[in-house]
Amino acid sequence: MNENRRQILEMLAAGKINAEEAERLIAALEDTPSGQNATGSMAAQPKNAAKYLRVLVEAEDKKGPTTVNVRVPMQLLRAGVRLASLIPAQAHDKLDEALSQHGVPLTLSQIKPENLEELIDHLEDLTVDVNAKEDNTKVRVFCE
Amino acid sequence: MTPNIAIVGIETPHWRMPRLWLPVFLLWIPVILLSPFIFLVLVVVAIGLRTNIWRLIALMWGIVCSLRGTDVHIRAEGSQVVVRIL
Repeated sequence: MNENRRQILEMLAAGKINAEEAERLIAALEDTPSGQNATGSMAAQPKNAAKYLRVLVEAEDKKGPTTVNVRVPMQLLRAGVRLASLIPAQAHDKLDEALSQHGVPLTLSQIKPENLEELIDHLEDLTVDVNAKEDNTKVRVFCE
Repeated sequence: MTPNIAIVGIETPHWRMPRLWLPVFLLWIPVILLSPFIFLVLVVVAIGLRTNIWRLIALMWGIVCSLRGTDVHIRAEGSQVVVRIL
């Protein structure tokens, strides 16, 4: 039983409202979308999950315009991320060393598959817009 | 579900290829015929990576199945490349 419905019933029990008024209030509560929110039935529905990651690049130089439009399924990103689990443990040290030499202080062994899954899930909220006015380059990364 | 069709188009300032609709599903025929050989290759790869062969197959299958919907469109210096997987 949700909070609003309980309050109405308590008001009825306390004699503040009569049965007819309580019925009307409950009916109004059921009709309003906010009433559905209060029950949590709407909150339980999943939001529309993004299916694709879109990368758009537009650049213009002396040779003419360059456009890149890439759409990658999120499922492919997930599958690609799972490939990381195939990297042998022996290779982790070498990779860590190579990454740190290039300014990426990362320890691969500390990255768990569930962390990567979480990262992919949060990509759905990602939108990157880059506008470089000097060379008329625009980059957009978003999920759709 | 595995990809069924791949659309490939290449265009340069001097030459234009008509867009090709490649029936990717027909690749199943050579894949099935070559499956013993492919399996052997995967076994060698799995041993090399020190991983489970079935896990490797599952990962490969996952990648193949998730290719549907990929769309790449690049245009530069009058040339254009389109790859679409349906």
